[in-house]
Formats: sequence, structure tokens, C-alpha cells
Amino acid sequence: MLFNTPQFFLFLFVTLGLFYVSPKPWRRWILLIASYFFYMSWNWRFAPLLLSLTAIDYVAAIWMERVETPRRRKLFLILSLAANLGFLGFFKYYNFLAGMLAEVLRHDAHAFALSIVLPLGISFHTFQSMSYVVDVYRGEQKAIRNPVDYALFIAFFPQLVAGPIVRAREFFENYYRWMPPITEERLRGALWILLGLAKKMVLADQFAQIADSYFQNLAAHPGAPAAWSGVGAFAMQIFFDFSGYTDMAIGMALLLGFHFPTNFRRPYLAFSITDFWHRWHISLSRWLRDYLYIPLGGNRHGPLMTYRNLMFTMLLGGLWHGASWNFVIWGGYHGALLGLERVFGRKHFQEPPHWLIYPFRAAITFVLVCIGWVFFRAATLPDSVYVIQQMFSWHGKGILIPAWLGCVLAVSLVIALFEEKTEWIERLARGPAWGYVAAVVTLLFSVELIGVTEKAVPFVYFQF
Amino acid sequence: MRAAPVLLASVVGFAALEAAVFHTGLYPWILSPDSSTGRVETVIRNERERPKIGPQVLGIGDSRMLLLPRLSNQRTPQTGYTFATIATPGASTRSWYYMLRDTDPTAKLYRAIVMAVESYDDADKWGDEADNDADLNYNIASLRLSDLWEYSRSYDSPKQQWKAARGILLKGLVYKRDLEDLLLHPVSRFRYAQLSRRDSANWLYGYDGPPDTLLAFRIDWEAKTVMAPPDANHDVVDGLKTRLLLPLPPETGDQSRYMKYWLGKIQERYRGSSTRLIFLRLPRGGFVRPDQPRFNPHSSVRDLAAQPNVTLMDEHLFDSLEKPELFHDEMHLNGPGMNLFSYMITDEVSRILGLPR
Repeated sequence: MLFNTPQFFLFLFVTLGLFYVSPKPWRRWILLIASYFFYMSWNWRFAPLLLSLTAIDYVAAIWMERVETPRRRKLFLILSLAANLGFLGFFKYYNFLAGMLAEVLRHDAHAFALSIVLPLGISFHTFQSMSYVVDVYRGEQKAIRNPVDYALFIAFFPQLVAGPIVRAREFFENYYRWMPPITEERLRGALWILLGLAKKMVLADQFAQIADSYFQNLAAHPGAPAAWSGVGAFAMQIFFDFSGYTDMAIGMALLLGFHFPTNFRRPYLAFSITDFWHRWHISLSRWLRDYLYIPLGGNRHGPLMTYRNLMFTMLLGGLWHGASWNFVIWGGYHGALLGLERVFGRKHFQEPPHWLIYPFRAAITFVLVCIGWVFFRAATLPDSVYVIQQMFSWHGKGILIPAWLGCVLAVSLVIALFEEKTEWIERLARGPAWGYVAAVVTLLFSVELIGVTEKAVPFVYFQF
Repeated sequence: MRAAPVLLASVVGFAALEAAVFHTGLYPWILSPDSSTGRVETVIRNERERPKIGPQVLGIGDSRMLLLPRLSNQRTPQTGYTFATIATPGASTRSWYYMLRDTDPTAKLYRAIVMAVESYDDADKWGDEADNDADLNYNIASLRLSDLWEYSRSYDSPKQQWKAARGILLKGLVYKRDLEDLLLHPVSRFRYAQLSRRDSANWLYGYDGPPDTLLAFRIDWEAKTVMAPPDANHDVVDGLKTRLLLPLPPETGDQSRYMKYWLGKIQERYRGSSTRLIFLRLPRGGFVRPDQPRFNPHSSVRDLAAQPNVTLMDEHLFDSLEKPELFHDEMHLNGPGMNLFSYMITDEVSRILGLPR
């Protein structure tokens, strides 16, 4: 059940209805049942997996609080992390490692491979679960006693499959002091959902067609213009796809009275790679910083260790996205760029430049990010190298992006620039009703007339 | 301000604007005349605007219903009837119903409607015609909200049923491709649509068909090959192979069910009116395959023939046209073939109807 299908909207409508007409004590159950129903609608066989991971972390956290010696606390932490990483490793990385082993032993590439289906959202819910256990271990979070509450934290359907990765503290602060959303929040929630749907169906899915036509047949589109338009289309696809999903998740949570953190802040307006990672998939960047980079030592042990920690964090961040060398290289590429920016002066890349220089810096950053996206999208490493060669080949003809989509993109860019200063969704929700109605009608019309409606295209991050 | 009324107003606002643009004649006014919907709307508009003096006969069918009113009407002084056609390439029997509903809203305009069918036996086809994806595009401008249930249910697969229901509710979804084209070339579209509104009736009326023939082609039925001249059009060769050499589709009864439903609805619409429904079986092609579909005594048209306002032309009336020199591809008559076909229809319809009173 994808977010961009009528079935999902029916499900959401029914869930919201049941949630608000039920007595308060029932509501957690309704949300939990709805979340598992949502998860099982994709593949019911994985429900026991989600349930067992939930049970393991729930019990481990309680025991961590009960035992008194730090050694035992650590033991429970290790057991919990081992279970999470074990499941994640098996489902996500087994075939990758088996392929490498087969190569080392000079066997057939699929000699040790297993037919494994990746459970929906496993990368997200395991990270969320692990952050909770680590927080309990560190004493930053009290263990949750009510299993229904904890199960809901892990399975909450708006963010179950592709985030944002919410910290337990954020979720439970909201949960235990739950207040029904006020009018403005309801309006804002509905607008977020619609905006996310429009981003996905109007922009991401249109750009996906161009990116797919390029990357699925590289030989048919030689030269720089085609390569840049193919890569640029993918850059737009992945941004609008993922941020569209996140907007919908934030909107749904808001309608249910939950406040999710922002996951994207116009990342293609970043003026440096450091700034980019403060704007792109913020909840993952934050997780990597708090649970990997800082525990590794962060920047506390001199420049060399900082570069090492940065690189290690980004390599693992890349690998988190998928089991392939392309993702590792993508992570390494960003790690190297972050390291380089530190070499040339951290302050220089953290504080916005003069407004006259800003557009050039933003353009350079966008180009660097696009080069990284090649590794993310291309099927193989040789394909990635070929695409980058084509991008800088200075020959060829034929831009693949049609004029009308370019116009839509230009309008989106203007809106994004405008929103950087104005936060128009908040303004619309607070402003006069006619403005809100006009915005909704415009978004619905854009989904109807420009959106890809022939088939529901899965979200890119659903595969992670 | 409360959330529910604002959200409701937003949905109502969207529905109202959608209805104003797509459920009225506003958008069809600038449709591309070359699109499926545009073609249908063009022939319907031309026919509705055509001055009708004296008893009228209307032809309907797909691209093979090559009745040339220009020729038929040369004989009006003798026959007393004026002929017209709304036959449209690709139009299915389901489309005919909605085309007739728009062309003849009172079901009283015509003395006769001549419907050209491929077979009197409801021969099955490869693929389920009830699930024809293109029909929605042909009919979208004619469909009303009240058609929602029946039209969408007339498709067999749930996927197509959903697509049709969604399309009737939100017509913009069906016009989407046309709209993208309009946004890309708005000025040329407006000009072309205007030109089509002004001149298309003459373009269609003046059409005289291609001169090409199939005389240079041979079919070896034993070896199952098409022998074509070296400079032959590949599309024609492929068309001949597909139509003549592939095995006949299995008999499922789907086509009969489909035809009975839609022809039945057309007949029902004209029940009690003075309009006679006349069926003709189209000439099958320049080459006729030796294995013909089985005779079906209870096919849609044979069953309908029992009705008082329905007449079947002789099934073999047009067999004399089934010659390579009268076709330009696997199933379409060429210029001379169209001329003969038109005269034959004119004579036979006039004979069936008799002189007008």
C-alpha cells in the first residue's frame, strides 16, 4: 500500500476517523493495529520480524535499567544491537557479502546467494530502535514500560517505511502529552500531505521517466547534454520523491497530533557539502552524527582522526542505503568532500557566503552532489564511470528534459526560494480561507493534470 | 476558522473547477483534432451543425466504413435520401452508442442508421474488446456522471473498470496528454482547432481515398507467406501477415456478449422511433482467408434482426469488392473501392427504405 494510491488514502481516512471517534484509551491500539495492517498489506510474513525486533529492544531496554552493573548494561546493549544489526545484515547485506566471498574464492557470483526479500523499511525501523536502546543505555531516555507504546513507536505507519528517523525522546514527549491538533495544525497537516503527493506524482515521477530512460539505456544517449539531463533528472527525482514522502509523513503525523522533525530544508540551495548534509535527510545525518561520528571521537582528537571519523561515518552512511559498492563509493565521495571542506577551513563552509557569491557556491555544490548521484543511480560501477565521462565529454546533443517539465521545475525553484524566507505552508494555514482553498485546488489540479497517474510509482527510499 | 469546512470547501472548489473546465464544452473546444477524442468530437460537431434537409441516413463504424456521402448524395434526386457519416477510425461498438447519443439526442433525426460490422457471426478477436483501453479516450467528452456505473461496469477487468470510473469523475486525467501538448504549443493548437472547426467538414466530405492496390501481392496459403514486391510498404506486409496468416482467435463468446450488449443498447434507444437500424457486413479484404469463423445463428445482429426496426443487408452483398485491386492495405478499401462501396450502400439502403413519403 503505497502512499500515492487511493487504497492508502482510504486507509488513512478510516484510521483518522476511528482514531478521533474512539475513546482516548483505545487510540494507541487503533494506531498500532493500523500500523501493523499497513505493514502487513505489503507482506504479512514479515510482521513477526518487526514484532520480534520490537520485543527484543523493549525487553533489553527494561533490563538495562534494572541491572546495576555497567558491564551487564553493556551486555544487554550488545545483545540488542547484535539482534538489530544481525537482522539488518542478513536481509540487506548477506547477498552482497556472499557475492564478495564467491569472488574471493573464485566461485560463480551467485554460488552462495540466497533468495532474500528485503523487509519493508528495515533500515529505518532498526535505526530508530537502536537509537532508543543506546539512549536508554546512556541514561538519556527512560525505558518504556508499556509494550503497546513502544511497539507503536517502532511501527507508527507514517514513518515506518522511510522515516524520518525519530528519536524516542521526541516521539514520547509528544505521545505522553498528546493534545488533539488545533485547526491550524489540521490544515497544515492536510496541506503537507497534498504538497508531498504533488512533489511525488507531479515532479518526482515525471523526472523518474527521464532518469530511467537515460540510465536504462546509456548507450542510446551519448554525450554531455544527455548525461547532465539524465543525472539532473535523477537529482530532481530523488529529492522530490523522498521529500514528498517525508512531507506526507509529517502531514499525516500532524493530523494525528504528532510533530515530526523536518527532514529536508531545500538541500539544492546548499552552498557547501557541509551545508548540504545539514539540509538533506536531516534525521539520518543526525543519527549518524549522534550514534556513529561522535562515539567514534568526532572532531575531538585532532584533524587526522576527524577526517577518519568523517570518512568512516559517510562510508557506513552510504552502505546503509544499499548493499553495493556504488553506495559505498557515494558515501566515500561525500566523506572526501566533507574532509576537503574542513581542510580549506570549516567556518568557510558552514556560514553562508555573501549573497553575490551564494548562487555560484550553490551551483558548484549542486554539480558536486549530482556527480555523487551518478553512483547512487547507475546500475554498476563501470556505468557510473561511463556517465561521469560523458558528463565531462563536451560533445553530443539532445537534452532529455522536455521544455514543459523545465518550466514546472523553474516554478518549483521559485517557490522553494520564496519558501526559504516565508514558510508559506504555515502562512496559508494561518491566513484567510480563500488562500488555503486556492492552494489546495492548485495542488489537486497539478496532481490530476501533470502527475503520473497511470500507475503508482514506488518511492525510491522504500527499497532502503 | 474550523478545519473541516475549509477542507470541504477546498474539495468542492476543485470539483467545481474540474467540472467547469472538463465536464462542459470548454476543454473539448480546444482539443487536438488529431487526438482520439478530438476526432470523435470533430465528426459529431460537424454532423450536428450540418443542415439537414429531407430524410437523412447516417453511417457509423470504424475506419473501414468508407461511405462517401459526397457520392451517395449525387443520387439524392433519385433516392430522396441525404447521406452522412460519423464513422471514425478506431471507434468501437461501445463508442458508437455514445456517439449516436450525442449526434442524435432525440433519437428521431434519421430515417436510418447504417452500422458496419466486421462479421455477422460475432467472431472473437485476439484480446477482449470489452476491455479496450482506447474507448475511454474516444468517449470521454460524451460521458456524463450518470454514466459512471454503467460505463465503468461495461469493462471486464477491475483495473479497466476503475480507470473508467476515475476518468468519468476526473476527466482531466483522460485529457492529460492532450493538455501537455496544448501547454507545449498553445498558439499552434488554438489555430489548428479553429481551422478544424471551420474546415474539417469539407476535408472529410472531400476525401477520395488512396489509389494504391494490392495487385502486386500474393498469398501462399499453404506456405503461410505473403509474397510482396520489393518496394512494398512494410506496414502493409505486416498487416497482411497478421490478418491473414495468424491462426483464428479461440472462440470464447466474449465478442458476442459484448456486441449483444452494445448493439442491444443502440436498438433499445431507437425502439419505437421511426429510425431503421441497418447492418452491413464489411468487405473482408483484398484477400479472404480460407478459414472463416464458424456460422453463429444466435449472433448479436442475427438476434437483433427479429426486431421490427432492424434490417440486415445480405451478408455477401459486398463480396464482389473483396479483390486486391480494390484495397490499399489488409482491410481498407482504396479510392475506387470506396466509390463502389458507397454506391452499393446508397442503392441498398434506398431499396430497403423505399422512396420517402
